[in-house]
Amino acid sequence: MPTITIDGQIIEAADGAMLLPVALEHGIHIPHYCWHPKLSIDGSCRMCQVEVEGSPKLVIACNTPVRDGMVVHTSTPRVETTRRGVMELLLVNHPLDCPICDKAGECLLQDYAYAFGSRHTRTREPRRKLEKRKDIGPRMILDQERCILCRRCVRFCREITKSNELGVFGMGDRSVLDVLDDAPLANPYSINTADICPVGALESKDFHHKVRVWFLKKTPSVCGSCANGCNITIHHYRNQIWRLMPRRNDAVNETWMCDHGRLNYQFVQSPERLRQPLLRRDGGLQPCTWDDAIGEAARQLYHAAHAEGGGAIGAIASPHLTNEEQFRFAQLLQALAATHVDLAVVEGPADDVLVKAEKAANARGARDMGLRPAPGGAGVPRLLDAAAAGQIRVLYVCGADLWETADRAALERALAGVHCLIVQDVRRSPLAEHAHVVLPSLTFAEKTGTFTNHAGRVQRVHQAIAPAEGQLSDGEIFTRLLNRVTEGRWSFEPTAVLAEIAAAVPAYQGVSFARVGGLGWPLAETASATPTGAGTAQGASV
Amino acid sequence: MATRTVTVVRPRSGGHSWWVSPLAMLQGMWIAQRHFLRNLWGWIIGKPTVFTVQYPEQRLIHPGAFRGMPVLVQMDTGKERCVACGLCEWACPTDCITIFPAETADEIERYPRLFDIDMSRCMFCGLCEEACPEEAIVMSQRVEIGAFSRRGTVWHKADLLVPADQLMDTRLHHVRRSYDR
Repeated sequence: MPTITIDGQIIEAADGAMLLPVALEHGIHIPHYCWHPKLSIDGSCRMCQVEVEGSPKLVIACNTPVRDGMVVHTSTPRVETTRRGVMELLLVNHPLDCPICDKAGECLLQDYAYAFGSRHTRTREPRRKLEKRKDIGPRMILDQERCILCRRCVRFCREITKSNELGVFGMGDRSVLDVLDDAPLANPYSINTADICPVGALESKDFHHKVRVWFLKKTPSVCGSCANGCNITIHHYRNQIWRLMPRRNDAVNETWMCDHGRLNYQFVQSPERLRQPLLRRDGGLQPCTWDDAIGEAARQLYHAAHAEGGGAIGAIASPHLTNEEQFRFAQLLQALAATHVDLAVVEGPADDVLVKAEKAANARGARDMGLRPAPGGAGVPRLLDAAAAGQIRVLYVCGADLWETADRAALERALAGVHCLIVQDVRRSPLAEHAHVVLPSLTFAEKTGTFTNHAGRVQRVHQAIAPAEGQLSDGEIFTRLLNRVTEGRWSFEPTAVLAEIAAAVPAYQGVSFARVGGLGWPLAETASATPTGAGTAQGASV
Repeated sequence: MATRTVTVVRPRSGGHSWWVSPLAMLQGMWIAQRHFLRNLWGWIIGKPTVFTVQYPEQRLIHPGAFRGMPVLVQMDTGKERCVACGLCEWACPTDCITIFPAETADEIERYPRLFDIDMSRCMFCGLCEEACPEEAIVMSQRVEIGAFSRRGTVWHKADLLVPADQLMDTRLHHVRRSYDR
């Protein structure tokens, strides 16, 4: 273990580590553009130059291995003059676009120009004219004038997505970042290049000219678009989501996220959102109060369970709800002795970078909470057949996944066979048109709780958006139903429900919000193999 | 500590005799009458001699440093100079500015789709003008923000636009001088 001294601070570094990451880890900030923790070393920006005693020239910290007894100075007059020179050269051709640039406010060039640059420009020559607003892919635009040629994006496309779309063409002061005409930047991770771009050269079309970054409030959360559970930050302002950004978690998504997940947030603020419970009256769905809707749903469930037994109730859980909500739903179904319980999950293509096949955040958590067919209970296909045969009196469907995955003809037959359909969803789906009771629910951005990703990592979501007035979360709806059905006095408080989960589900023993923290908490390895709750090996077939 | 007693002797009346009061009244009447007659004479011969401005028929032209309500500078093309960078919105201490940016096909690719100033909240401080990198929002000579409803005190982009040449003498020269642009 080499021991080095940076600015008088004595640091134990790992063998073969580079100077820059070691300094950053210990809170010594060395300015840099081209170095990125998850990409290879390029050494092209020359911004991280530092003085090492015994070395005649300044060295770049990103590509200098630590050596025992090394003494490093990061802010001597020589280093500062060099930085100012580097900044001046980078700014020679940089356009004065800050007022219209989406990056302004989180731009490294801006920050370092304030910190290390000189106040005035000494050049009088016109700046380089290149292509602005170049359409380089379905989700990205490129402003070549703004590029400082750090090549982070080039290395990203070469090393992470291995698709090699971006490249630097030309030589010397004619170098320009570009794509080939027949190979646009269309890989499923393309917007990450906008995140890692230290300036505003690469911009996401979705966020282009939408809102200034300094107005955005940031709430840590977890992406809900697939089972991988990438850690994200929700950037919101005026109670609207403006973008989702990846949040670094080396155990899950490093610093990346896929474009599909990143752009999948408009449904939260869609005008099609259900805001009021609906009841079927006089042949049509009509708005009603929560008491009426929950009362009617509870009455139907209670009568079915007591007149014909738990087999007369069918329940399809949603893989989009938090663990706490799934747990309450499982409790409700247990209280009704329902056996025909299953989970519907949309499946799609997966890849070997991040994207997983199950297109929902918490399918694993739902199964762990016991939302899977009980012994003698039916999975989705058999459940629909049973409903078509008139054996199921009340069908309780959460989410829209059933509508998207189930065989349409079988579903139509099943809907004709049930006496009462309860639909709980965030949008008015086609399924809701058949319903007797429609319960509007909330999205991942509007509630607090935990998700369990495909690998059994419990991760926390926080409320970013205030729900519309009078809206209830799924957990609150389940709890009210549970109280009606059992005459209990439960309340829905995520912290308390998580404690109930820790006590009731063996795999989740010891889980708490404090333990989950910002980066999640992995369940014990054996937990994934042991079936929990009342589940059996036939599991949740979709 | 030894106490010391001081006897203060004050005059019984104001030091004047009783006949001063009617004289002071007459003096006041004389001053008022003098002004009235002088104004009347000035009005008759068409050369008013008093400072009073007959608002709203007459208005003063204020010096360049005067801060009335903020307005948007309009270019010769009829469009606003503003690029919706949001710095004034950020600088505003009373949060009276609301901007929704949008993209155009023009060379300046950004413009404010909506630019509202709630004049009932504005305190005419001029920080928006100081923050503006485009010389697009400046303080004007206007001060009349009266309206019949609260909604009426919100000025929209179309109400706020003022051609640049109208603002040049009144404010733009001053802005360039004071902010060293």
